[in-house]
Amino acid sequence: MTHTPSRAGLGLAVAAAAMLAVTGGAAFWYATQRNAAANPEARADMTVTVGAETCDPQDITVPGGNRSFQIVNASDRPIEWEILNGVMVVAERENIAPGFRQTLTVQLAPGEYAITCGLLSNPRGTLHVTPSDEAMVAASEVTLRKFLGPLSEYRVYLVMESARAVKAAEALRDAIAAGDLAAAQAAWKAARIPYRHIEPLASRLADLENAIDPNAAYLAGQEDDPGFTGYHRLEYGLFGQNSTEGLGPVADRLVADLADLSGRLKGMTLDPALLIALPGAMAGQLATAHVPVGENRHAGNDLEELQASLDGIGKLTGLLRPVLAGVDPALEGDIAAAQDKAEQDLAGLRQGGAWPSYDQVPGDKRQALAGSLAALQTALDRMQPVIGIN
Amino acid sequence: MIAPLLRSAALGLALAGPALAADPSLDLVGPLSDYKIFVAENTAQLVTDAEAFAAAIKAGDLDRAKALFAPTRTSYERVEPIAELFSDLDVSIDARADDYEKAEQDPGFTGFHRIEYGLWSEGTTKGLEGHADRLLADIRELDGRITALTFPPEVVVGGAAVLMEEVAATKISGEENRYSRTDLWDFDANFEGAEKIYTLFRPLIAEDEADFVAKVDGNFQAVKDVLAKYETPEGGFVSYEELSDTDRNILSAKVNTLAEDLATLRGKLGLG
Repeated sequence: MTHTPSRAGLGLAVAAAAMLAVTGGAAFWYATQRNAAANPEARADMTVTVGAETCDPQDITVPGGNRSFQIVNASDRPIEWEILNGVMVVAERENIAPGFRQTLTVQLAPGEYAITCGLLSNPRGTLHVTPSDEAMVAASEVTLRKFLGPLSEYRVYLVMESARAVKAAEALRDAIAAGDLAAAQAAWKAARIPYRHIEPLASRLADLENAIDPNAAYLAGQEDDPGFTGYHRLEYGLFGQNSTEGLGPVADRLVADLADLSGRLKGMTLDPALLIALPGAMAGQLATAHVPVGENRHAGNDLEELQASLDGIGKLTGLLRPVLAGVDPALEGDIAAAQDKAEQDLAGLRQGGAWPSYDQVPGDKRQALAGSLAALQTALDRMQPVIGIN
Repeated sequence: MIAPLLRSAALGLALAGPALAADPSLDLVGPLSDYKIFVAENTAQLVTDAEAFAAAIKAGDLDRAKALFAPTRTSYERVEPIAELFSDLDVSIDARADDYEKAEQDPGFTGFHRIEYGLWSEGTTKGLEGHADRLLADIRELDGRITALTFPPEVVVGGAAVLMEEVAATKISGEENRYSRTDLWDFDANFEGAEKIYTLFRPLIAEDEADFVAKVDGNFQAVKDVLAKYETPEGGFVSYEELSDTDRNILSAKVNTLAEDLATLRGKLGLG
């Protein structure tokens, strides 16, 4: 919180400022001149005077785009001035002393905002930002800068979820080591969820993918193949053979491979093209492989995992949609609709508030879900030409 | 004494040169995401600490509540550039009495500083139970909102200067923790928060801006050296009243310089 010093505190602040005037006066003068050059007050689009109880004007209308506001503190106390979008601070100027003025420049998208006016109990003003060519151009420009937030947030997600995958695999390993079959079966199902969240990228690291998540059907020796390791080898033992016997080394290896995966994901360079490609590819994989034939033939918990996959896709589209919205709102709407449809088809398979085993899901329902996932892929794949940048 | 200071200030500014008007690079993604992880760790710690703080208040344990006040705040102060993006929570968690018409007696006055007022000025935990519950609920809400937030890159990079500007403009006066005099804990956390941002992005500019990073490194170290003199053996800080005028002046000068210099980080990283 930024603040308004007490009167006693103000005295100290004045003393500190006086000291600085002596020791750092030249630096301050220089800095002030530079700031003045960077923010010429004369160019402000709007002057807002904050009095003891209100702003003048209290209701402001400006066209969208890069706007500057000159804030004049006409009250007898230091103030901060904020532009709020709901509870979120869009921009602020802090610590404006009584009698002083400061300029705030901010990129504003069309919409309704609130402005603060001194004391917290004072009524807020309104800021009405109208549509403009300038705002439309700013929204429709695709720049690397717009991807920095989404890329960073996805990296955080990869780091967090891969750490959860390691922890969950450790719990699974411990249950297997204790020979507790029921606990190990529950731990196996739980351990799959964070992996499904990050699978869109994790499945692209082929060497680790082949150790962590191979499917017996694709191996020459099937369940007896020495290359049959990872999650599904454990699934085969725990659910197919109903035993924890001999699974210790497999679980140890899975924990080690997931730790390796976590480190590799953390070190990967993410770029816009990759981020845009991931959700469509994942939806396509679900539509053509997982949904038609199932994947967890012994555990049967496919529906729960499909929900986790949709959540992982949703994380990606949630990050990309704000970039897309300014460029191609129609496509953004299509993606939202396709995603809702897939979510609804999946949710429609729940029975009595729980996921049935996948062998109870009939062919026509699988086909319908595969169809909605394929449609989601089609919509997602339209993003690359629209917001793809090199 | 004055002349060398002036000279070094002028030299620093001359060497800093014009800010590079670079386009942002994908190299920002690593430090930006590492910063969010840092913030998430701090808000998780804040929830844990606030639980213990609220429990002490509700148990009527005045001494324990007073002992937990300052350390609990540090996790908030470290991540303030992000925490204060949520104006409703920032107000209810960290507003000062001055922000209200009736000051300490205003029914809207809540959060850390309302509790601080009760513990120190009124000398009791009585009547603070509701404030403790509210603070904990607000902090849990903050933790959830921060987890869901895609951090705006310019807010992250600009946050280092924001923290220093705030210390320079108001906190150095000792206004923040006026009842408990635990201001040095907050300063230390503000510096840590600013230095964390700077350290994360430093490798991206170190080669081209050797003089700039040398100057900023030196100023952070100078601040640490001053604060170290006031640390207690338990890892905390003595009362703000024990800060000597000389050291307050050094801190004030350093924090102003840091605020000025760190304000150029956005431009240097193409986020101006």
